[in-house]
Amino acid sequence: MRKRTKVTIDPKYILIVIVVICVALIFVSFKFEDKMAPLRSVVGNAVTPMQRGINSIGAKISEVMEYVTSLEKLVKENNELKEEIDSLSAENKLLQQDKYELENFRKLYSLDEQYAGYPKVTARVVSSDGDNWANSFIIDKGSDDGLAVNMNVMAGDGLVGIITKVNKSYSKVRSIIDDASSVAGTFLKTSDSCFVSGNLQLANQGIIEITDIDGTADIKDGYAVVTSQISNKYLPGILIGYAKDLKKDSTNITQRGYLTPAADFSKLNMVLVITQVKDSEDLEEMLDK
Amino acid sequence: MKRYISMFILIVVCFLLQTTLFQSLQIANVIPNLLLVLVAASGFMYGRMMGMCSGILCGLLMDCLYSNVIGLGILMFVIIGYINGMANKLYFKDDMSIPLSAIVISDFIYGIMYYMFNFMLRGRLDFVSYFKGVILPEAVYTVIVGVLLYKFLHWLEDKMYPPVEIPLEITGVSTEEE
Repeated sequence: MRKRTKVTIDPKYILIVIVVICVALIFVSFKFEDKMAPLRSVVGNAVTPMQRGINSIGAKISEVMEYVTSLEKLVKENNELKEEIDSLSAENKLLQQDKYELENFRKLYSLDEQYAGYPKVTARVVSSDGDNWANSFIIDKGSDDGLAVNMNVMAGDGLVGIITKVNKSYSKVRSIIDDASSVAGTFLKTSDSCFVSGNLQLANQGIIEITDIDGTADIKDGYAVVTSQISNKYLPGILIGYAKDLKKDSTNITQRGYLTPAADFSKLNMVLVITQVKDSEDLEEMLDK
Repeated sequence: MKRYISMFILIVVCFLLQTTLFQSLQIANVIPNLLLVLVAASGFMYGRMMGMCSGILCGLLMDCLYSNVIGLGILMFVIIGYINGMANKLYFKDDMSIPLSAIVISDFIYGIMYYMFNFMLRGRLDFVSYFKGVILPEAVYTVIVGVLLYKFLHWLEDKMYPPVEIPLEITGVSTEEE
């Protein structure tokens, strides 16, 4: 027979106590976020180094797994790809024209200087969110490396997300495909403003929503959307992605559509953190006037 | 005591695996909820107290790193641990069907609670699509991994507390193999 520990309190009451404590904790951490920071950093500092280690092993394993499982697929894919190359090379020429055009437009909006002028820091993605509901991840740089909350995070040339929490040696990034994320954007070509908001239902397809575009805006699928001047957290002019499936709302006053992000969220290893926080106080002052 | 320590180590290891290694083993865009299996299993195998203890640890780990508020995850995991602990009386080592259905039910409860607290309150009301897109695939994947985890837990239990053969005098049934 198993020995029972001699606890005389009914677990029922312990459950009630825990529930009460949890509810209190929720309120406390909601009201006084700073007060909970020490607890977070104790756990985080202990866990993130281990995660970093395992993550590198995991990356290797998934590489090997991919290699083994995809061998058959690769042969088939190879044939398909060869066919695709032909069509792509044709498309590429078109795109190059587009790129030239895009560069022109960047110069026009004098975004080019700003874009290259932002000071950046490279960081490695340590771990991703532990559940299937949110899209956030941890990077291996923190306040010691000069990072702060609200700094913008990019991968390649596209916006990835924003830092929502900073600790000494690591920080948490909420990606723009997260359900709670919403970014004020603007169409590069027409300067029409819009909102780019993540949506869990679409996240798996790798697309996000754009809403609140002016109904009269002359926009087409494939137009680039960048972060807007009016955003109070995102620096202006960072490429978010390309619009698609645009259509009028039933009210005819606004348009909505989807957006393919410029950053590849399925394979995030290294990200760039722009170590410049948007000074939104100026903006708020301006808005008050 | 040994049980608590081993469960502590297991939870930390599973947490690390879930947040790193399993991210690259996604199937249908979901990862299995290892921590939930551990909470459900510890509740189911060792009773309500153990279930709640592992619930607190799992919730704390998840909340501190990934959640905006501390407490919500603890609350959900503790409730899961407690509910499974109530089913402790049904626990019988050789029967896998009950613990596995317990995992499925726990995962559904966890998913529905998560949806209610984090999505429904923000006005995302399309429950069916969240159910099909996240809760259901996660439950399936979790059960598959849960089988392996349960086997491991049983093996560990046998190592830590080798089963003692009790000669049965009163009843005629013998547990020994002939």
